[in-house]
Amino acid sequence: MAIEVPVEHVLLVAAGLFLLGLLGVLVRRNIIFLLMSLEVMMNSAGLAFIAAGAKWGAPDGQIMFMLILALAAAEVAVALGLVLQISRRFDTLDVDAASELNG
Amino acid sequence: MLEYLWLVPALPLAGFFALFVTEGKLPDKIVAVIGAGSVGLAALVALGAGMEFVQSGEASYAQSLWTWMAVGNFTPSITLYLDPLSLVMSGVITGVGFLIHLFATGYMWKDHQEPEGYSRFFAYMNLFVFAMLMLVLGDNLLVLFLGWEGVGLCSYLLIGFYHRDPENGYAARKAFVVTRVGDTLMAIGLFLLFRELGSLDIQTALGDAGQLDAGMATAIGLLLLGGAVGKSAQVPLQTWLPDAMAGPTPVSALIHAATMVTAGVYLIARMKGIYDLAPVAQLAVAIVGLVTLLISSFTALTQTDIKRILAYSTMSQIGYMFMALGVGAWSAGIFHLMTHAFFKALLFLASGSVILALHHEQDIFKMGGLWRKLPVPFASMLIGSIALVAVPLTSGFYSKDAILLTAWEHGTGPWFWAGGVLAAFMTALYTTRMMVVAFLGETKTEPHDASRINMWGPLVVLAVLSIGGGWMTFSVLDDLLGAIDHIPHIHPAALVTVVLPLLGIVLGYFVFSGRMNVNSLVESSFGDALRRFWQSGWAFDWVYYRVFVKPFLWVARVNKGDVVDLAFRITAAVTRGFHHVGALTQTGRLRWYAANMAIGLIVVLLIVASV
Repeated sequence: MAIEVPVEHVLLVAAGLFLLGLLGVLVRRNIIFLLMSLEVMMNSAGLAFIAAGAKWGAPDGQIMFMLILALAAAEVAVALGLVLQISRRFDTLDVDAASELNG
Repeated sequence: MLEYLWLVPALPLAGFFALFVTEGKLPDKIVAVIGAGSVGLAALVALGAGMEFVQSGEASYAQSLWTWMAVGNFTPSITLYLDPLSLVMSGVITGVGFLIHLFATGYMWKDHQEPEGYSRFFAYMNLFVFAMLMLVLGDNLLVLFLGWEGVGLCSYLLIGFYHRDPENGYAARKAFVVTRVGDTLMAIGLFLLFRELGSLDIQTALGDAGQLDAGMATAIGLLLLGGAVGKSAQVPLQTWLPDAMAGPTPVSALIHAATMVTAGVYLIARMKGIYDLAPVAQLAVAIVGLVTLLISSFTALTQTDIKRILAYSTMSQIGYMFMALGVGAWSAGIFHLMTHAFFKALLFLASGSVILALHHEQDIFKMGGLWRKLPVPFASMLIGSIALVAVPLTSGFYSKDAILLTAWEHGTGPWFWAGGVLAAFMTALYTTRMMVVAFLGETKTEPHDASRINMWGPLVVLAVLSIGGGWMTFSVLDDLLGAIDHIPHIHPAALVTVVLPLLGIVLGYFVFSGRMNVNSLVESSFGDALRRFWQSGWAFDWVYYRVFVKPFLWVARVNKGDVVDLAFRITAAVTRGFHHVGALTQTGRLRWYAANMAIGLIVVLLIVASV
């Protein structure tokens, strides 16, 4: 017998994950950690979708999660390419070093 | 032939395009054939159409070509309108125009100043003939205005034809700007006419002119007079004409004597319906004519440049035409326009021959004794002069006599007649001076006559017209403008009118050939001051320079930074300031952008939640 988890609890966890991820994006300077924080944020959004889908018994939530997975994979592919370029050009992984496009 | 009327303006236009698109690459002989031939063919078509028109006995003939534009109720059409007035005008323009073009093929041949300009010269001349024909044949005041500005443009281009000398460019600009003053007044007059009557179609507008109240008719009449004054070089916008003599002599003959400067006379005669309603405006026409007549004939007496003498003489003869229209001698005014076109074109072309033979010497005091060496130009000048002075039996006599005798009977008393007769006396005096000084006495410059038949041929034809042009009974205009009033020649006024110019010739001969000593009079301080005053054209240029040119230059100098631009400069500076502020937020730091996005998102969420 499945254990019923109230949807509010799941959403609270998702919000917590999202905030953690956002905090990570804002405070970490290492670009690898930045990407990992982004993954956390996306997964928190996915979790919220799953919870919502389970609550209303609709398959859309799961479909959205799969979309997010695909998006994350694509994002990582591009982002790792950028990481490589940044580490080659600036010889560091500090994202603030790449601030040449200022006004 | 009447249905081919459209060919009359189309042929010179085609000639212009042919010369214009070939950019002077055609051989000069072909240029001469196209330039003079197109106008000659137009003259033949005009002659044929005119004969058929006169035989048909109709009052007018209109050939509608197309609608120019259609904006609401405003649908001006390109319609050629032939009536006796436009017939006389187009006959003069194409006929005299052809003779002058023919003369110019010789005059401009291997021109020493502009040897490359032969094709350009004829292109401008053909364009001018086209524009002038549109001016007189247009059935719509808008088409008339198109031609009006077109001839102004060609006049500008041809005055500045010898463009290597900045002086000529200045003269061209002066002519353009001064006539623009008149054109502005005329445009306002046309706007008023359109507002009041709702149509710029000449016949419709004149037909409805009765609806105008007297004040409006006077205002429109005066504004149109303003335009006419500018174009016809009448006081107070006359100062451009003497300087316009900077152009080649055939240009002076065609544009600044025979045709364009008479456009103002044509305009007033064409708008007779308006002036009939506005006696004040008509009186103003007469006064402008009289004042110009007197000022310019006194000025001509003191000029030394042969072309400037003729220019002032042109002004005074157009003054006669204005006076004629003003005192109600409508037909006589147009008659004088025609005879003047003959003899003034003759005088200018003959002076052109002289100038060419003397290697561009224009000072009459450096000529002298030319009558034996240049017989054809001398005979032409002589015939043109006696027609100008209005010696009996010449063409100028019939037209000037008709004007002066109508002026005698004018309601305001004999003032216009007296002024006209005094000016006729002065005309005799300055014309005799020109002839005596330039052609009699000792030879001072050796002439070198190289004119051929294309140059003296037109002189002979024009000489015949100058004598005989007045013999035919000039009655084509009777229905439109009223018959010429003839007073029997035993009337005392008529006798004075005839005799005074003859006295002028005799006096002029004795004074200027040195047989009568007037040195004490001329060399007195008063005589000298008067001579300098007259020579400057009654100081109009001096006054205009101080009243208009100098203040304008001062304002231009003060306003070098352009006050009006300040508004735009301030706008630009403010925009640039905002740009700098905006650029500060563009740090290039990824985390800063992410934080901004997060904050923005929170703000948006808060707003959405609070609504």
